[in-house]
Amino acid sequence: MIDFELSEEQQMIRDTVGAFALDEIRPAARPADESGNIPQALISKVAELGLVSGAIPETLGGDGGERSAVTGAIVAEELACGDLAVAIHCLAPRLLAYPVLEMGTDEQRGAVLKRLAGAEFVVATAAVMEPRWDFDLTELNVTARRDGAGWIIAGDKCCVPLAAESETMLVYAKSAAGKGFGGVDAFIVPRGAAGVSVGEREKNMGLKGLATYEVSFKEVRLDADGRLGGDRGINYSRLMSESRVALGAMAVGVMRAAFEYARDYAKERKAFGVPIATKQAIAFMIADMAIEIDAARLLLWEAASRLDKGADALEESYLAKNYAAASALRVTDNAVQALGGHGYIREHPVEMWFRNARGFSMLDGIATV
Amino acid sequence: MKILVPIKRVPDPATTIRVLPDGSGIATDNVKWVINPFDEIAIEEALRIKEKQAGSEVVLVTIGQSTWQEQLRTGLAMGADRAILVKNDGYLDPLALAKIIAKVAAGENADLVLLGKQAIDDDSNQVGQMLAELLGWPQATFASKVEFADKRVTVIREVDGGLETIAFNLPAVVTTDLRLNEPRYASLPGIMKARKKELKEVAAESLGLDLAPKLKIKSLTAPPKRQAGRKVASVEELVSVLHTEAKVI
Repeated sequence: MIDFELSEEQQMIRDTVGAFALDEIRPAARPADESGNIPQALISKVAELGLVSGAIPETLGGDGGERSAVTGAIVAEELACGDLAVAIHCLAPRLLAYPVLEMGTDEQRGAVLKRLAGAEFVVATAAVMEPRWDFDLTELNVTARRDGAGWIIAGDKCCVPLAAESETMLVYAKSAAGKGFGGVDAFIVPRGAAGVSVGEREKNMGLKGLATYEVSFKEVRLDADGRLGGDRGINYSRLMSESRVALGAMAVGVMRAAFEYARDYAKERKAFGVPIATKQAIAFMIADMAIEIDAARLLLWEAASRLDKGADALEESYLAKNYAAASALRVTDNAVQALGGHGYIREHPVEMWFRNARGFSMLDGIATV
Repeated sequence: MKILVPIKRVPDPATTIRVLPDGSGIATDNVKWVINPFDEIAIEEALRIKEKQAGSEVVLVTIGQSTWQEQLRTGLAMGADRAILVKNDGYLDPLALAKIIAKVAAGENADLVLLGKQAIDDDSNQVGQMLAELLGWPQATFASKVEFADKRVTVIREVDGGLETIAFNLPAVVTTDLRLNEPRYASLPGIMKARKKELKEVAAESLGLDLAPKLKIKSLTAPPKRQAGRKVASVEELVSVLHTEAKVI
């Protein structure tokens, strides 16, 4: 039985986060792109929505404990439709919270999640990507080797959001000789651990409001409990599937922002005495954008619903995120085109969405793997 | 303190409203429904009072069809404690609504009824006033500030030409104006918890009230389309046109 109907709660979440994104986040998007900063007041306001605390059980001081990949995709899409930089900034603590929630030992859940359970925004992040042309999620250069009961982490990461401000970072490293997803572990690294150094803020083409950094690990020593999940380790393939679904959903959000803006513009803007939306060259383009958005969203929801059932979604999430990343580029490119000369100037947001969308095929490095 | 907040389901203010060809109502297909914005302000104010006064309870009530539950759930997600749906399918005029709310307020032993000054659909601006009269309680309409000291309430009202400050004792009816507060967004955990909160249904006819409308809507028409403006060359011409054509001076 296939059902695409959202539950009453999911609809309410979509409406609420969607309204918030349009009213509160969207107006901050351009200033953040220009200045490189997201106002603290906005971040606090987003945190009040309970994006992180809502997933943490009440026994750990959180506000709920219910979590679903489909609902997560809905939230990510809506936030990113407001602004991608704000969305990633505000969801960054989930990169630590969710893996710990799902795969951490009781001690790790207690230590990490209690700190993230409150209503205020506590900065945390994860380090996945590495600065190399042949980056491969399953063949990490950052390594973790046993040192007595503990671990030693070594290597370089890049594109780590909010690394400089994060209290705690989840670092993915190759820990075993095994190939594929089985050879990777995640390590909970506190800020200020000896040997961790955060580099200069990266200068990116898009996502200019989001602070990302290179981080290097020089023989960083961790205790035995630094390894997420203890002796059990993690299900890395599942974590990456979850992250791909979230990223793909954000791509859909960016596409939707561009599509809606271009559609409304085309209905308004007149050429040869009629709105350009009545010209087939534009009308077909707008229709294609709508098709791509729906298609990408359905692929993502399929992957997400598999994750919610506890099933493997490695393939589904890979296909969905890849499709969303490619579509995001086409859709935002078409949005720039639909606005003509106005699309290229910074007075309209479509050029910003185009730059932001370019990142999706690079983030988590999968498009070319 | 027990605060009763009556809310109404109305079309989203951002929705374009189309009147049905026969003038009997508005086309409701593709209309997004929301809590009346003034009532949302009332919910927010009730929640703020509750946050300041421990042990307070915020109870929502609405009068309509089963689908109106959606708006009650939204209010519960914002933080209200429980909700009552008085089920009714037909048209009720402001007096009938006031009678139902008065009955619920008395049954609930409410200390304060807080509601929007008017609904943005028909803009009647009558229910709050009628309600206070039926209950025999003091009323403060168009509130832009509400403060408490024990059972004494001070309200700043927005009136023509300025602000008026009045004080009275509970129980009372207060209707909210636009500038009273800025309503919060429901949080994600709030939305998940709303499902588990009590939502009681009562049939309107079971209340033993005379709800027959005294008011009849004869027909609805869309406002005339606004004409394009016209530029005049000089002040003299403006004055002359206002006098001879518009006949306003």
